[in-house]
Amino acid sequence: MKSIIELKNLHKVYATGTHALKGIDLEVKEGEFCILLGLSGSGKSTLLRCLNRLIEPTSGEIHIDGEDVIAAKGQKLRFIRRKIAMIFQQFNLIKNLSSLTNVLTGKLGYSTLIHSLTFPQHKNDVKIALENLRRVGLKEFANKKTRNLSGGQQQRVAIARALMQDPKIILADEPVASLDPATADSVMRYLGELNKKDNMTVICSLHFLSLARKYGTRVVALKDGKIVFDGTPEEIDEKKFKEIYGEDAEEVEIR
Amino acid sequence: MKKENKIKSIIQAILTDLLFWIYIFGCISFLINHWFEKTIPSNFVVIFGIAVGLITFILGLSVGRKVFFPTIRTDKKWHKSFWGWSVFFILLITFVVGWNLVEVDLYKLFTKFRNAGGILSGIFDPNLNILTLCLTALAETIYLALLATVFAIPLAFSLSFFAARNLMPRTFIGNTVYIIVRTIATIFRSIEAIVWAIIFSVWVGIGPFAGMLALMIHSVASLTKLYSEQIENIDPGPVEAIKATGASTLQTWLFAVVPQIISPYLAFTIYRWDINVRMATIVGFVGGGGIGLLLLQQQQLLRWQNVGVIIWLIAIVVWTMDMVSAKVREKLQEM
Repeated sequence: MKSIIELKNLHKVYATGTHALKGIDLEVKEGEFCILLGLSGSGKSTLLRCLNRLIEPTSGEIHIDGEDVIAAKGQKLRFIRRKIAMIFQQFNLIKNLSSLTNVLTGKLGYSTLIHSLTFPQHKNDVKIALENLRRVGLKEFANKKTRNLSGGQQQRVAIARALMQDPKIILADEPVASLDPATADSVMRYLGELNKKDNMTVICSLHFLSLARKYGTRVVALKDGKIVFDGTPEEIDEKKFKEIYGEDAEEVEIR
Repeated sequence: MKKENKIKSIIQAILTDLLFWIYIFGCISFLINHWFEKTIPSNFVVIFGIAVGLITFILGLSVGRKVFFPTIRTDKKWHKSFWGWSVFFILLITFVVGWNLVEVDLYKLFTKFRNAGGILSGIFDPNLNILTLCLTALAETIYLALLATVFAIPLAFSLSFFAARNLMPRTFIGNTVYIIVRTIATIFRSIEAIVWAIIFSVWVGIGPFAGMLALMIHSVASLTKLYSEQIENIDPGPVEAIKATGASTLQTWLFAVVPQIISPYLAFTIYRWDINVRMATIVGFVGGGGIGLLLLQQQQLLRWQNVGVIIWLIAIVVWTMDMVSAKVREKLQEM
């Protein structure tokens, strides 16, 4: 299988002096469900945001689907970004707009300014958006403002927005950290489905090993901005777990 | 404490003490001049101030030490310490000097009430024959305030994005645009609308148009500041999410920023209109037209009954605007 993401010696130093990524080398194959583990502050969020340049890397190389992400500018960068959907811990929906409008914003990378201002008039876009909402089981919530939805429903709207981009890759930054365990599992199930049925490559940071074992095909663990483990979920035993999370860590069993 | 910090604190403390005592001696010399008509040369004031300031600093009694070296423990209550008494003294002398400068005269206040009789009787016996004239002028005032607000909205709306720290990239161009827009807005805002009215009444002639321009400039400057602060307070999450979809900068602003600020923007704008109606009256006094100009004319002609009508009208309009804008803003909050 060909690799879709290639990182070489990636560094990120923040203006505050924090050295968040210290030379990351990583290759992700097409169709993988790659789980990122690591303590808060280990560099997971920074790594995910460097991939679509929400954060500018300090040095190193990023190739996604054969394109040089670091060299990309303007239009080119927008076209790379629209192939990479992103899902966030805080859902990051526009709370006083309807679910449907939120889902339609997933199409912005494909639209001109005029087109995007008249979204409701473009029947085809609306049809696809409704179809995506149906897929996450929220069709009847299309006209509801997202601020009135529960956490799990909001994250599903965010997944529908991601689908709207017709992405090859989904980056998920702790997508279930603000959800209760049952809802968390249902959200992960949608991500799993996209990975298996639609063959989307998923990179997802998590804190629960149980979910990592259930959905991940690969686990990459970060510690202090370096990769300290790279293997299958089954390979993580007590010892490895303590290496990643420190000596005092106990695995919390969810479910 | 670091060495540089210590030196900095010492300099700040000494400067504070010098200014403190120069001010006190300045006040004393003013009072001597005022009461005994004896002039004290200003270099005396400065020399005495510097001398006493330095002495108190060296003796460790001074206010500067108290302010800039808070770590020095003083268990004494303020009335048992030298700095406490000097602060008490400076407040007292400021009050006395103020009383004399403002020419406070309680005798006049309580005995010359009769002088204002004309205007008071005018208020309670308004000349309703000029009501039509007044209403025309009042309409001028309300509409000039409205137009000033309406013209200010698109300008301030567009400018506010460039005056928001979180939207301007931290590149050379980004910083330059941000600083220029901010600085111009601050300068224009610090010039009062009444000054703008004077400028424009010379420029385009006395009348409501001058008043409208004056209020517009001032509104653009203040709304830009208020709007941009609102943008700086938005949730950055949606901005990140919209950017990640591959949206252009303009699309990101329209879809992630605008929906978050629209209702506070409306609230600020209505509040601004309310302020503009009130200011339009004042601006009229200096050549901005409308009811303010009419009030000035009638007052100079000593037509107190006409002045009475105008005062009633202004009060009713301001009161109504106040009520309406408060109600609308309340509703917007709930949205």
